[in-house]
Amino acid sequence: MMKLYIYKTTCISPQQTFGENIDIETLRPSVDNKLYAIEPAYPQFKGNALRRMSKSTRIGSGAALPLLADAVQPNGIIIGTQVSGMEENGKFLNQIIEYNEDMLTPGSFVQGTPNTISSQIALISNNKNYNLTHVHRGLAFENAVIDAAMLLNENPDSRYLLGGVDEISFNNYTLDTLAGWFKKEDCLNSDMYRSTTDGSLSGEAAAMFMVGNDKQNAIAQLKAITTIHSADVDVIKARIKRFIEENLAEGEQPDLLLTGENGDKRSLPFYTSCDSLFDKHTTIARFKHMCGEYPTASSFALWLACNFVSGVLTMPQHMIKRKGEASSFKNILIYNTHKVGQHSCMLVRLPK
Amino acid sequence: MDRIVVTGIGVISAIGHSVAENHAALVLGKTGIIKGGGNFPSRYSGLLPFGEVLTGTEELKEKLGVTEPGVTRTSLLALHAFNEAIADARLTPNQLTATDTALVGATTVGGMCLTDELYANTHGDTEHIEYVKSYDYASVNLHIQTRYGITGVVNTLNTACSSSANAIMYGCRLIKNGLANRVIVGGADSLAKFTVNGFNALRILSDEACAPFDQNRKGLNLGEGAAFLVLEKQADAAGKKIYAVVSGYGNANDAYHPSSLSPEGDGPYLAMKYALDNACLSPTAIDFINAHGTGTENNDEVESRAMLCLFDTLPDFASTKGFTGHTLGAASAIEAVYSVLNIDRQELYPNLNFNVPITDIGLEPVLLNRAATITHVMSNSFGFGGNCTSLIFSKA
Repeated sequence: MMKLYIYKTTCISPQQTFGENIDIETLRPSVDNKLYAIEPAYPQFKGNALRRMSKSTRIGSGAALPLLADAVQPNGIIIGTQVSGMEENGKFLNQIIEYNEDMLTPGSFVQGTPNTISSQIALISNNKNYNLTHVHRGLAFENAVIDAAMLLNENPDSRYLLGGVDEISFNNYTLDTLAGWFKKEDCLNSDMYRSTTDGSLSGEAAAMFMVGNDKQNAIAQLKAITTIHSADVDVIKARIKRFIEENLAEGEQPDLLLTGENGDKRSLPFYTSCDSLFDKHTTIARFKHMCGEYPTASSFALWLACNFVSGVLTMPQHMIKRKGEASSFKNILIYNTHKVGQHSCMLVRLPK
Repeated sequence: MDRIVVTGIGVISAIGHSVAENHAALVLGKTGIIKGGGNFPSRYSGLLPFGEVLTGTEELKEKLGVTEPGVTRTSLLALHAFNEAIADARLTPNQLTATDTALVGATTVGGMCLTDELYANTHGDTEHIEYVKSYDYASVNLHIQTRYGITGVVNTLNTACSSSANAIMYGCRLIKNGLANRVIVGGADSLAKFTVNGFNALRILSDEACAPFDQNRKGLNLGEGAAFLVLEKQADAAGKKIYAVVSGYGNANDAYHPSSLSPEGDGPYLAMKYALDNACLSPTAIDFINAHGTGTENNDEVESRAMLCLFDTLPDFASTKGFTGHTLGAASAIEAVYSVLNIDRQELYPNLNFNVPITDIGLEPVLLNRAATITHVMSNSFGFGGNCTSLIFSKA
């Protein structure tokens, strides 16, 4: 069993998830098939520093700051992101071509490397501890979680800042659209699960977690995680089943299944086969109409799960796919797949 | 806990397509840094010196039997080194597909080596979209994973120039935490307009072959390449050649500046210190340091001061960047292979192009190939964002 407890979590997303007035009841609509993060004012960052930061660095370090307000520094900072800084890379790429490799300024190049988020957080909090950035596409956040779990096993009584961040950039939106991962026809997030075409809506967010191995003061426990690489529906179904059998008591079902269903007809069979594993006890809910599709979207789901399991937030109607009999959510299974080949399961439960 | 041992190594760089070729060049002091290699399209190709792998991308594809679309030069270099490492460790196809075999690779360029193609695709070219699925960093390891049917943990790291040191550290930790029994760890990067222009805009590219730790150093040369190492538990390696033990690693952040190291060198100092602590070694145990030594004004001075701060008597040290150039995400893995060779062959390789010690510091690196008794080697890597990692390899 993994001893990974979550004490605090924050999230800057396309919904009202950050600051004092969190409201996930009201669904904010997508614009041009994209769900853009609502950025706060960032009073902590000064003008020039803020202007130089990429969006992913802003939302990543902006979400991290409230978790760093405590006197105790985390023993490390671990970030999962596919290509944060792609907007900056895009700017630099354009400069290279348009100015024929001459008279370039390095700002975008430096800000474009994805470890900028973890290093920026280290810089603003003067944290010289462990610092690592995982970039393994749709499993970047999951690998960051595994890293944190290993660190807690190696260094009991430590605290780690763990996060998942990705941004919508012109470049990755265009490339992923060319590759068929985003819808070509107009589609609103409130309609995305009725869509029968290829592709999803594009999204972005930053979710941050302060984690440790002591259950005191924890709001949630991440009990287990697994990653799977396959494009075979039956393989995935069997692996999810095994994951549940290994991590829940015999005959026990999750109270809530939170899936990354995303309106892409190619990934739907994976989600429906996962749904079919559970009987009427389990409530099935979806989250990608809130945050959109992005490689580290499972971190947004983990933020939601922490808030549901601890009772801080109640499940809004717009998330529910099938209402179950469970009266409260003590066990939550998150299942997500990105671009069909990469899958993950996380089991979140009330600390006990 | 069993010791973690190196049972296979593979490398491709400007000084050779195999471990044997790299070793031969190291012994001879023969650099791979030249002007005018011409394998990547850039106005600086031919003007500035680079550590190029002098084999074209199509030729690499043919040699490796890669026929599917969308495979970038970075992936090809990675595959080349990966193949050599797994053959060297005699990993079987069953071992490669076993759930307890992990792959951890690093890259800082990934699919963005295709600067022109990406520009075209993002500006309306919808016909030539072979590479749109491989623009990211993960594409390199996903290619290897798919090719060999790897089912264990697969991960990609990017902490700029220390990326593959972190991949090696992460692989060791997967074994220690019971998440894998054998890991294939390393890194790859190819020369690209993207990085060449980035480092050029930062004004840290030298127009001559780089001269690490020399008072008159003018900056770094970029290079390309890849290296992978197979790490196993000692108990599982019976009957295999054991090159070295991975005995320690340390990861720290300098928390000072996005693209340069602090004058005090806190990050480098802490990474080296944590590696020693992790290996349960005192500084006096280290026989040789494969320094980061990029040849930039900032790095070499800061690294020198941090080494002097940690070591009362500084052991022999040298940078191999004068052979290969700075290969970014591949650098730590390539230098890990060289560190392993220091131990396996009981010899040291020269720091090229050194003439005058840095004023006020006065350190002189190893200048000639020579035999030496080597038990513990430290290998340093420091990256943008203050990401610093040191590794320690030891004689088995």
